[in-house]
Amino acid sequence: MPDKSVRIKVNGQEIEVPEKSTVIQAFKQAGVDICHYCWHPGLSIAGVCRLCMVQVEGMPKLQIACNTEVKEGMSVNNTSDVVKETVKWGLDFHLINHPLDCPICDQAGECGLQDQYMQFGSYDPEMAEPKVKKEKVVDLGPTVVLDKERCILCSRCVRFTDEVSKTNELGIFNRGDRSEIGTVAGKPLDNNYSLNTVDICPVGALTSKDFRFRQRVWYLKEADAICPGCSTGCSVKVHYNEEGVWRVKPRVNPEVNGHWMCDVGRNTYKYVNLKNRLLSAKVGKRDVWQEVSVEDAVRSAGLKLRETKPEEIAVVFTGQYTNEDYAVAFKFFKEELKVKSFFHWLNNPDKLNEFDGLLFRGDRNPNTKGLENAFTTFGGKSGWDNLQAGLSGRKFKTVIVFGPEDQSVFPDLEEKIKFLSSAENLIWLTACSNSMLDSLGCETWQIPVKTYIEKAGSFTNFEGKVQSFKAGTTIVAQALTIAETVDLMAGREINWNLRPQGVGGPKINYAIANRGQL
Amino acid sequence: MQVKLLSEHYDKPEFQALGGYERYGGYVVLAKALKMDPNAIIEEVKASGLRGRGGAGFPTGTKWSFLPKNGEPRYLLCNADEGEPGTFKDRVMMEKAPHQLIEGMIISAFAIGSKKSYIYIRGEYTDSIRIVGQAIQEAYKAGYLGKNILGLGFDHDMDIYVGAGAYIVGEETGMISSLEGLKGQPKLKPPFPAVQGYLRKPTIVNNVETLAAVKYIIRDGASSYRKHGTEKSAGTKLFSVSGNVQRPGTYEVPLGLPLKVLINDICGGLKPGRKLKAVIPGGSSAPVLTGDEANKVTMDYEALAQMGSMLGSGAVIVIDDSNCMVDILSTIMHFYHHESCGQCTPCREGTGWLNKIVHRIADGHGESKDIDLIKKVSEQMMGKTICALSDAAAMPAISFVTKFRDEFEAFIKKGQIGAGGTAHA
Repeated sequence: MPDKSVRIKVNGQEIEVPEKSTVIQAFKQAGVDICHYCWHPGLSIAGVCRLCMVQVEGMPKLQIACNTEVKEGMSVNNTSDVVKETVKWGLDFHLINHPLDCPICDQAGECGLQDQYMQFGSYDPEMAEPKVKKEKVVDLGPTVVLDKERCILCSRCVRFTDEVSKTNELGIFNRGDRSEIGTVAGKPLDNNYSLNTVDICPVGALTSKDFRFRQRVWYLKEADAICPGCSTGCSVKVHYNEEGVWRVKPRVNPEVNGHWMCDVGRNTYKYVNLKNRLLSAKVGKRDVWQEVSVEDAVRSAGLKLRETKPEEIAVVFTGQYTNEDYAVAFKFFKEELKVKSFFHWLNNPDKLNEFDGLLFRGDRNPNTKGLENAFTTFGGKSGWDNLQAGLSGRKFKTVIVFGPEDQSVFPDLEEKIKFLSSAENLIWLTACSNSMLDSLGCETWQIPVKTYIEKAGSFTNFEGKVQSFKAGTTIVAQALTIAETVDLMAGREINWNLRPQGVGGPKINYAIANRGQL
Repeated sequence: MQVKLLSEHYDKPEFQALGGYERYGGYVVLAKALKMDPNAIIEEVKASGLRGRGGAGFPTGTKWSFLPKNGEPRYLLCNADEGEPGTFKDRVMMEKAPHQLIEGMIISAFAIGSKKSYIYIRGEYTDSIRIVGQAIQEAYKAGYLGKNILGLGFDHDMDIYVGAGAYIVGEETGMISSLEGLKGQPKLKPPFPAVQGYLRKPTIVNNVETLAAVKYIIRDGASSYRKHGTEKSAGTKLFSVSGNVQRPGTYEVPLGLPLKVLINDICGGLKPGRKLKAVIPGGSSAPVLTGDEANKVTMDYEALAQMGSMLGSGAVIVIDDSNCMVDILSTIMHFYHHESCGQCTPCREGTGWLNKIVHRIADGHGESKDIDLIKKVSEQMMGKTICALSDAAAMPAISFVTKFRDEFEAFIKKGQIGAGGTAHA
């Protein structure tokens, strides 16, 4: 930010704004409403919607606020009759060829055009001519579907693929009111940031294949979270209802992810949902499973741990838990149980330092750094070969694993389960179910734990930035936090009364069932 | 009446090739100019009162002085994308006297310190492209282009760029986009081309006629050039006269000439028995004049502006009483709808909307509220967009329905018969 600032008047209100900012930024800073559409703070200025018109004192014509730089002593307003009339007509121009199919449009409820129209428009339209007809369903690529009629050509998606993802798939073809978004020669819109175009599309022209027709957005609730997809730790929000979580979208965070997130991160809601989850505890071994309550299972696991000599216990961590989880675990195992051997299960050691230059990192754990910090703080880290030696030499009798929350990012999962099951007793904390755990020959405890959406805590990202988050919603009521697990293992009581309800799972949606591939 | 300054030798076929051009004093002015101080050339052009001949009428010398005063590379771009309906004088100039343009361009480039210029010729002008292309080669061979021109130490290269058929690239920033290999769409201003134009370098865009005129200003001096025309509209202008006159064509006359002299004396008047109904004085974007207004107005920037129209590119379209104004406006609206680049919403949607309303009226399905709606839509298209195409579409629409309201009303009331008495096909 430039250190100099200028004083300007916005609708009569005097404010100080940084030199070289634009009038629209000044409006935003002053908290004054201004109609705008193609402008996006994360993209270059297009200046094509012509809705952010303001009157600048001393200038004969109205100016667009997005491309007008502030000057000392400038006085601007967007409340004069001529501005209001211009904005009203500007909205009308946007709407004359827009299909106005809001009742069946996925964007309804979070549509830029609807919002702007309700705030600045609300007039009787004068357009009575037939609308321009364009293609309604265009398969742009693996993630995005285009409705050309709904598109009002703000060019945000084109600018995104030019400037941010730098993949240049999209363009505006043809001209005049025949203009349409498209890709060159059938080349698909296929990059790891493609779904940002859906976020920034102000209307329902670009929709996500993963989300379209699934939920009405006004029935969804929103909770802030930190994306667990990789070590970048993008600020995100998850959208959920009583059936589960439906999507993940980015939250603006200039220090980490700006306005964007990757498509991989958007998939992290999937494993959180009911059908992938371990819904209750399981204790036993191959073909002999006891149906026990979660509480009984954890208590019996705790008993087993306390029966085992400390040097015969191995604790295996993954980088998928919060700093708070690690702290409470270390305190219990190291200080209460006097365990000596702690191990770091690294799922992708050769890709750890990969980076795509934008957001996505090769370390597919949200908190590798936090785990490393915990090892430094509490000590006791042992090399993986010691675990191998200790298991083959029958030194370790009981192994407790803080299993992966997102099992899909652990390519060595099966191999490791097989390897770890050579212990006599295996206590596996896991959010998701895994059929392999059901067929092990050792005494196995499968204990359901909460996911990143269901618990509070903090992740330390690749550069050491600690980001905390609150619990969003609860999917599996039975699942425990690590603190609860530790308390039960230690023989302490936890409060079962204040636990939130879980969700009911998705209802059958016949619209989706019958709609085919798109 | 006619003053043949630029067009003096247009009737001589040999003027097209270098030999003939040199015989009539070609490239003598270039030698004179290259010995001058570049700033003196700019001052001379300023003093001449020369205004852009492409349509906007902006003072040329002033435009040049917007260039940053530093050593940054800069470009001269000749706008030969003559697309304004009714205009054909640049084509005549390029085909009759390509070297006149090249000489004017080298002088102008020297004045602004540009080592590279482009002539952007509309793609349909295949003859102009061929003729100007040959002339550039001749000029290179003769040492008028290239390194150390005439041994006077100035280097300059010139190239042709062929347009792909879009009217909008006649707008200077649209032309720059196209020259850069992008879709021909105007750019957001600021920055203006003189500061950041072609390849983000300072760029001056001038019309063919403007650049050719520079040669004569340097040859004869600003005061001599000022002897033609009026005080604020100095010099001569080539008018493309078309429509219902006996002798349509390109005529060079001093600015300030009464329009009726141009029509009646120079172009031989209307066909016998016909009455003057309307004149579009400056290309299809210029608001139309009624016959009465046309008989009163003089052809200079101020007089036409006072009359609520504009000189534009100097395309005079003469309309007699055998024509139907609804029909003509339908054609004009079809053109702007077809040519809007689609970038700015008011233009993209407005041109389509106007086209639909006007065609509906022409098809006999008009409603009484349509005329006011055309005006309202047009007013909201004016001054609201990146470039002036939106205004160019709105101005004829407003002027047609205002000045010939009775014809539009007749269409609305009676179906397909206009007040002009012509049945609509």
